[in-house]
Amino acid sequence: MTKEKMKIGEISKPRFEFRTFGRDFSDAGYLMSRLSVPVPQKVWERTSEETYIISRTNDVNNTKIRNGKMDIKTFVQEVDGLEQWNPLMKGEFPMKSEILKNEVFPAFKVEMPDLENKEYALDEFLQMVKDHPDLLAVTVEKERFGYMINDTICEYANVWINGAMIVTVNSESTEIDDIKKTIKDLDLEGVENINYLQAAKRVVGMIDKKLVN
Amino acid sequence: MTSSTAPRYEFRIFGNNLDLYENKINEISEKKQTRQMDSVYLLTPWKRKNNVKIREGVMDIKLLEQEDAGLEQWSPFLVGKFPLNADVIKTVVFPALGIESPVFSRQKYRLDQFIAEVVSIDPDLAVAYVWKTRHAYIVNECITEIAEIVVNGASIKTICIEHEDPGKVIEAKALIGIDESTENVNYPRALKRIMGLVKLPDDWNNINF
Repeated sequence: MTKEKMKIGEISKPRFEFRTFGRDFSDAGYLMSRLSVPVPQKVWERTSEETYIISRTNDVNNTKIRNGKMDIKTFVQEVDGLEQWNPLMKGEFPMKSEILKNEVFPAFKVEMPDLENKEYALDEFLQMVKDHPDLLAVTVEKERFGYMINDTICEYANVWINGAMIVTVNSESTEIDDIKKTIKDLDLEGVENINYLQAAKRVVGMIDKKLVN
Repeated sequence: MTSSTAPRYEFRIFGNNLDLYENKINEISEKKQTRQMDSVYLLTPWKRKNNVKIREGVMDIKLLEQEDAGLEQWSPFLVGKFPLNADVIKTVVFPALGIESPVFSRQKYRLDQFIAEVVSIDPDLAVAYVWKTRHAYIVNECITEIAEIVVNGASIKTICIEHEDPGKVIEAKALIGIDESTENVNYPRALKRIMGLVKLPDDWNNINF
């Protein structure tokens, strides 16, 4: 069986991912810049602003909102320390309360609030999040620099969680061995795999655990 | 409980791009010293404005006396070093936090016991672990600080100007080039914003706040 060739920006079968967070990955960032094959200009540098909805009782569904659109990914499996996430739902605001009831709040794994309206605008949804004791909306700004190493999609990114800065590096691919080789090449062997949900929870104090450095 | 210094007026900002102000401070003043320290801040989602922290094992409370001309006047009190009597925690610390005191099972608390058995289980309290590298300067006779801080692992910078005379702080702000409209943000407010306990300002995405 031939392996699928990874292409930046194109849809592939579910990918495995290694990602970690800390304050200093300058060595890994330097290695990425030197080891990468040329990548399309559109991924050299990208910025975005997103809202992550984090829940005290859920670590398996990752919910983010960008430009009024909601995207929930669900954890599928972990293999050799690498995580595989699949899309669970995509939706847009205003959002029907039926979708919030049947898909969104179940993904948070928290008590369902009263949904009296037929549909909810983004600010109304965020107010429900604010009023819920087990949910928190976290603003996340990203400045991402894209690379391609060993056929894996890589990035080095500056990330501001509610205004405080951390750094992340990642490698993702459908092929586990390619990611493992990339981790080794970037001198990141033994470094904890931390996804966005975990990093945001640690910074806002929902989990009392440190980032990598 | 003892007052450690006379109440000072304070102006403070937080952000990740304070280069303009840092350069000006370095241009008009010389760095006097650099200190590193850790602090554990106790925060509540309420609008209580006192600053309650444990620095190097000492419970330290700053009471907000008044706000005037965009400055805040803080009155510091050193409550005492851990282990602390439950009575002191009940009568001094919790009133400063503005929340109801729990029932205490011990007469005295070590810091780790206080965090694990009192703070962590209280739904109205949040903890921020803060590591600070503080660089001290003098600008217009005001104690002026540039600090790199790490909040639960994430980085941000802060600049602070303080003096007993509010006029000197206002003059120092102007010398550093800080605009009159720039918001004065104290530590608890900044930490609450980072931890999502209070809403970020509408212009949060300009990075400085």
